[in-house]
Amino acid sequence: MRIYATLVYLFLYFPIALIVGFSFNAGKYAMDWQGFSLAWYSKAFSNPLILQALITSLIIAGMTALLSAIIGTMTALGLERVTGRTRTIFDALIYISIMVPGIVIGISTLIAFVTLFNMVNPLLLSLWNIKIEMGIWTVIAAHVLFNLAVVCLLVRARLTGMDRSLVEASEDLYATPMGTFRQVVLPLLMPSILAGFLLSFTFSFEDFIITFFVAGPNVTLPIYVFSSIRRGVTPEINAVGTVVLLSSLLLLVIAQVILQRSEKIAVAKS
Amino acid sequence: MSNDTIKPQKFLEELRRYEKGSVTRRHFLGVTGLGLATSVMSAAVPGLQPRKAFAEGLSGTVNFTTWPNYFAQENIDNFTKNTGVKVNVTIFGSNEEMLAKLQAGSTGWDLFVPTNYTISTYKKLDLIEPLDMKLVPNYDASTQDPQFTGPGTIDGTLYAIVKDWGTTGYVVDTRKVKKTPETWKDFFDAAQGELSGKVLVHDYQLTTIGGALKALGHSFNSVDAGEMAAAEKLLLATKPHLFGINSDYQPSMRNGDAVMSMCWTNDGAQLHRDIKEMEYRLGKDGGEIWADHYAIPKGAPNRAAGYALMDYLLTPEINAKEVKSNGAPSSDSRVNAMVPKEMLENPILYPAKELLSKLEFGAAETLTNPVRAEIMARFKAA
Amino acid sequence: MNDAKHSRTLTALLLAPAGVFFVFLLVLPLLVMLVYSFGVRAPEGGYQAAFTFDNYLNLPARGKAFTNTLLLAPLATALTVLFAYPMAYFLAVKVSPRWRNAMLVLVVAPFWTSQLLRYYAWMMILGSKGIPSWLEWIGIADVRLLNTPYAVLIGAVYGFLPLMVPPIFVSLEKLDKRLLEASADLGSKPWQSFLQITLPLSLPGVATGSMLVFILLMGDYILPQFLGGGKVYFIGNALVDLFLQSRNWPFGAAVSIALVIIMFVTMYFYMRFVLGKTDQRRVAMV
Repeated sequence: MRIYATLVYLFLYFPIALIVGFSFNAGKYAMDWQGFSLAWYSKAFSNPLILQALITSLIIAGMTALLSAIIGTMTALGLERVTGRTRTIFDALIYISIMVPGIVIGISTLIAFVTLFNMVNPLLLSLWNIKIEMGIWTVIAAHVLFNLAVVCLLVRARLTGMDRSLVEASEDLYATPMGTFRQVVLPLLMPSILAGFLLSFTFSFEDFIITFFVAGPNVTLPIYVFSSIRRGVTPEINAVGTVVLLSSLLLLVIAQVILQRSEKIAVAKS
Repeated sequence: MSNDTIKPQKFLEELRRYEKGSVTRRHFLGVTGLGLATSVMSAAVPGLQPRKAFAEGLSGTVNFTTWPNYFAQENIDNFTKNTGVKVNVTIFGSNEEMLAKLQAGSTGWDLFVPTNYTISTYKKLDLIEPLDMKLVPNYDASTQDPQFTGPGTIDGTLYAIVKDWGTTGYVVDTRKVKKTPETWKDFFDAAQGELSGKVLVHDYQLTTIGGALKALGHSFNSVDAGEMAAAEKLLLATKPHLFGINSDYQPSMRNGDAVMSMCWTNDGAQLHRDIKEMEYRLGKDGGEIWADHYAIPKGAPNRAAGYALMDYLLTPEINAKEVKSNGAPSSDSRVNAMVPKEMLENPILYPAKELLSKLEFGAAETLTNPVRAEIMARFKAA
Repeated sequence: MNDAKHSRTLTALLLAPAGVFFVFLLVLPLLVMLVYSFGVRAPEGGYQAAFTFDNYLNLPARGKAFTNTLLLAPLATALTVLFAYPMAYFLAVKVSPRWRNAMLVLVVAPFWTSQLLRYYAWMMILGSKGIPSWLEWIGIADVRLLNTPYAVLIGAVYGFLPLMVPPIFVSLEKLDKRLLEASADLGSKPWQSFLQITLPLSLPGVATGSMLVFILLMGDYILPQFLGGGKVYFIGNALVDLFLQSRNWPFGAAVSIALVIIMFVTMYFYMRFVLGKTDQRRVAMV
């Protein structure tokens, strides 16, 4: 068992070791070792386009995660309060959002939005001299669809497992509904909301195919990497990959600590 | 400059060779130094001097869409240094893909590099703008090779300016291939035979279907139903033997996964420069000659910067660096005067006349023909 | 009365944002796709309004893409479960709680490095200078991996293991150890306890993980593109080619609709027969 686990870790980290290792390559081609050098790191971080792509990716992933966490939680709470047709329709839509492959979402959103823009833009131009176009916001919108459904499912799982008596106890103590929500329900839901936030952030940060279709001229990190692979990878990209891996490991550790702490608080409160 | 002086004897020899047609005009100008004389003269006459019109009132990012391995990073960096405009380079694999993105809209491109045969379609679909020549002072129509300037001008209006030109042949790793194919027929025979599993074709209908058509003795541009069906049959028969279908073939060739690939001039020159045994060949039965153009999409968000970048890259000294870096020859005699002699004599860049004369320019019809598109898609999906 | 009204307003407010997303980013785009699927290709490519079923009748022209995907996606999902399960079991049962989370994070972390770069690294590992050259060294010559279905399967297991382990881990971790002890006390052999208690109780995790991985694989484009090199062709590749190369948008729309229908049907049966047997509520936990 232990041997198996070691092998799995080797399997998982060997390609990553290659990426990290070749980020120190002095040569021009990513996988052709020419000696040790840190040059690509300084190059990568003085390259305005890489920095721009990184910032764009962080904005998109951050906004997606935030919106998905909020809207997903709202939806989960809202669905607790309805039954019948509304509930069935929403349930179906949530599952469909998860089920429809990203590539179909990307292409159909592009076509639908371009059609829509072509219809509204003449009007907007004549009225206020503005027009709407594909951009960061269309990427965020398309990402939120899938991720809000994921968050909603996570939160609902937690809600169904939640101890009703806590809410009742709180109400018995004459807490306002808002007070009950803030002091009892939200802390209990927090772990799954946070998990959903992290998951959404990751999916959005890593997404290539939806972004490829709906980003307009904006460049995210995966789009930049894709373009780089097409023109021949230089160790510059490996350097960026390494830094992203290290910072995400760091974030993961922080998230882990927060999650554990909030779990403890939740347990302590109950 | 490699030939500041040339002995009269040699000059006459070269002139005679040029007249006989065994060397190209480019070769002649380069070797004899006439190109240099032209550029010296233009430097002396103020009106002919390259004007530095860019750098004023520019800002933001310019979105430049081009092909793989097709620009000098140094030039891009210097443009940013001179103007403060960041250049976002996006790489595409085929003209079809560029057209699809522009048709869908909202690309945000400011400058892109369509190939000769696509320009009339872009114009027809109203996707590119007629060029404002005031914004491209470094362009000089009189120094252009007229062989290539046709497609950029539609109804007397200039829509696109030649970036460079080249050919489509194949690159062979002669360390591993005993008998180098001479024709496209040989190419497909070898792909199905002794080189099975080690050959790449482009992920691009024009050259892949074109190559198969040539192997069967038809025109590179054929849209004849029977001929295309035969080409599809050949491609489908070859597919199981291919290493892959990919227009980014340099990594696989460098890595040794593939030993032969369909190839464009610039990639052939780059591979040969790094690995001497990589040889670029043209099929003796023909193939493609192409010219890529700079064009400005309609509604470019940073139009001024798009023009400025185009003008910068067309400046002879800058353009010469482009040629030296990516390996595709220029159609501008001012540029050729600045390119080293070895390059002008390089048979990869300037193939022998008898090979060149067999080549065909891509035809506009191939871009929009639904059958060619579907054959390529079926070939990939098979 | 007033309370009920207030409550209804609150419910509406809670559900409205998601509703907006569903309408504008799911229903509307899919409807446009549906309309397009009955159109014809414009002369220069793109869409031209029409009403024809030709695009659907032409679907067999992409039959190979559908069969490839429908064969390789479930196979890759199953392989991923096969490799992920022992790992999750090890983490949940054998590792001390002190190290458990840290080691789980190590399994998930690769997912945070660019997926494209990881596949690129695999192109090198599977290419002729990688594994095939090592095999040649021990006497097995002429192995080809890159641009074969094997490469795509290896890439899939590699790429999706980090997504598969956590849900299985969660379901195993919740397992009450006393059940196993009781089972052992009753004279069950370890493998009997595993089959009778551990496995059934961990199925919800397996179901969640497989569903996620299966959905991602069905629409994948990057994996077959990078490790299949144009030779292993998925529906995702067919879609990209139809929209970006041959620019036959109506046919592309028909392929999209077909893909969505396939997803609905498989998911319906999956939920009915696999999830139906397990505890629905646990399934949703990741």
